[in-house]
Amino acid sequence: MYRYDAIDRAVLADRTAEFRDQVRRRLAGELTEDQFKPLRLMNGLYLQLHAYMLRVAVPYGSLSPVQMRALADIARRFDRGYGHFTTRTNIQFNWVKLADAPDILDALAAVDLHAIQTSGNCIRNVTADPYAGAAADELEDPRVWCEAIRQWSSLHPEFSFLPRKFKIAVTASPHDRTAAKVHDIGLLLRRGRDGETGFEVIVGGGMGRTPYVGPTIRAYLPSNRLFSYLEAILRVYNRHGRRDNAYKARIKILVAALGAEAFAREVEAEWEKIGPEGDVPAAEIERIRDAFTTPDFSSDPSTGDFEARRAAEPAFARFVRNNVKAHIRPGYGIVDISLKGIGETPGDMSADQMDLVADLAERFGQGDIRSTHEQNLVLPHVRLEHVHEVWKALDAAGLATPNINLISDIIACPGLDYCALANARAICVAQDIARRFEAPDRAEAIGEFKIKISGCINACGHHHVGHIGILGVDKKGEEFYQLTLGGSGAEDAAVGKMLGPALPIDRVTDAVEAIVDAYLRERREGERFLDTLRRTGDAPFKEAVYAEAH
Amino acid sequence: MKALTANRLSDGEVVFWKNGVWVERLTDAEIFADDAGAGEAEVAARAQPTVVIDPYLIDLVDSAGFWAPVSYRERIRALGPTNHELHGKQAEGGGAVEALRQAHGAARSSGRVNLIRRK
Repeated sequence: MYRYDAIDRAVLADRTAEFRDQVRRRLAGELTEDQFKPLRLMNGLYLQLHAYMLRVAVPYGSLSPVQMRALADIARRFDRGYGHFTTRTNIQFNWVKLADAPDILDALAAVDLHAIQTSGNCIRNVTADPYAGAAADELEDPRVWCEAIRQWSSLHPEFSFLPRKFKIAVTASPHDRTAAKVHDIGLLLRRGRDGETGFEVIVGGGMGRTPYVGPTIRAYLPSNRLFSYLEAILRVYNRHGRRDNAYKARIKILVAALGAEAFAREVEAEWEKIGPEGDVPAAEIERIRDAFTTPDFSSDPSTGDFEARRAAEPAFARFVRNNVKAHIRPGYGIVDISLKGIGETPGDMSADQMDLVADLAERFGQGDIRSTHEQNLVLPHVRLEHVHEVWKALDAAGLATPNINLISDIIACPGLDYCALANARAICVAQDIARRFEAPDRAEAIGEFKIKISGCINACGHHHVGHIGILGVDKKGEEFYQLTLGGSGAEDAAVGKMLGPALPIDRVTDAVEAIVDAYLRERREGERFLDTLRRTGDAPFKEAVYAEAH
Repeated sequence: MKALTANRLSDGEVVFWKNGVWVERLTDAEIFADDAGAGEAEVAARAQPTVVIDPYLIDLVDSAGFWAPVSYRERIRALGPTNHELHGKQAEGGGAVEALRQAHGAARSSGRVNLIRRK
């Protein structure tokens, strides 16, 4: 974990005091709502259907046990005993009172957390690989760069009022767990010919009403030139982004309009002007690197009774198959904690569950917790000899559903149950599909299958990159759902194609099951759903879903 | 028939207009049979910017003897989230809550659409 210094803490204290005064002035009538709204949004405070919602930044998805317990405390004192992890790896509290918001920000600041830049047209929380520092296939820990970007972009005066919001992802593994290609900037750590590390730079990906997989504008950028290059990209965006039309203001629209090559030329010209003076000194990067505490790994490769228990207990073996991944060090595993219990709200977590995960991270996980953009949590460093005990504790708390990357591991935005922008609900659709595919043998037989659901075209539920994407629409005054097939947010990123006419809510789960059944009929040995779909096209699936309508 | 709704400034709670003050339950709200009365109430509500945010009118239909919002969105506001039946106003239960759950109609409030257009 990165450790805050005195300057970091002073910035947060000042910011919270400032917001406390702004809330006081609003309640006293000294500020109008039009004046106050941008101020509260800059502090992550939205007004939703039923109450205010506070979105708390979880920097690149990393949390300590102390921070997790603080979130649990906030859930109990200021919410209704739970929080909601989002597709931006943040956490939202859905039942916040305006007058309480400054106290919540104080409670967050006490554990080095905040809600700054979780809203507004600025650089938002950076997405990192949730397995960073633990993945067996990783080049180096990308979080050092995420933290450097966080510090560089926080309250950056030139980039606080961009044409629209701006999201950056950093990954150092060939298997992309960040959806980098659908971020405004995706940074893929690469090894250069000289043996040094650098980045492949992808710009202009995104979802929303106009989805794009971002093009690569630079195949290799030396890592010591990262910040001048980011500055050049953002300056070109600031200069040419469509401030006249909010729907065309994201950088993806600019990149598509200019073309990737022309956009890259503009960036390179700007980069030339900025020069190395725009880069963060190597000593500063090293200071940030040193501010990350190094886990106290044991060199002992023994795994205790891990294999014996795995052989003796089928339920544990299933958990290991689906929720435990290879660690870079022998004797360790990466444990995925599913926040997708069957019939539960995707991403929701009770305060008691937060406390339990904090305890487990402290006892068995090097004090390291990650949140994922797929609305789950990760304990990245668990000794294999402890995995059984961790599993038992998670299972008792309803957190051991063995469904990571399976069909019930569904992303769903809050939708019309909470969100002021939504046209339709998403949570209940996810719950119904998860119940239909509850049987774990069936789910495993189906294999990797990513369903992603959004309650409106803003696509917070990432439906464009779902293997099956489900978009809630308002059709003649009723909730309808548009299905797309073939999306992917991984290294083979793709935007899904619309399957056919939107379906009423009571036909969605049947349609998903028809698609799954068609896949099981069509698939060849070793094929994932996406592989089968790419080979056959969507005809068998269209036929399966719409046959009875003809 | 119409009712006037808003979110309370202090806590974001969904509230409804009743003769110059705000109440939390739709069953306690003032029901307007004519546009003129509803419009006058909306103007009066807008003069309370330290009490509520963005008041707007919603259309109602009869449902099992209770007035229910035509729009699905407004029914969720009046009840609470459908994924947590103990959260929001629905936690009280009773005939009015059940009538709202059973109501059918358009998914979006005409009043809200007008509000969005104004912005």
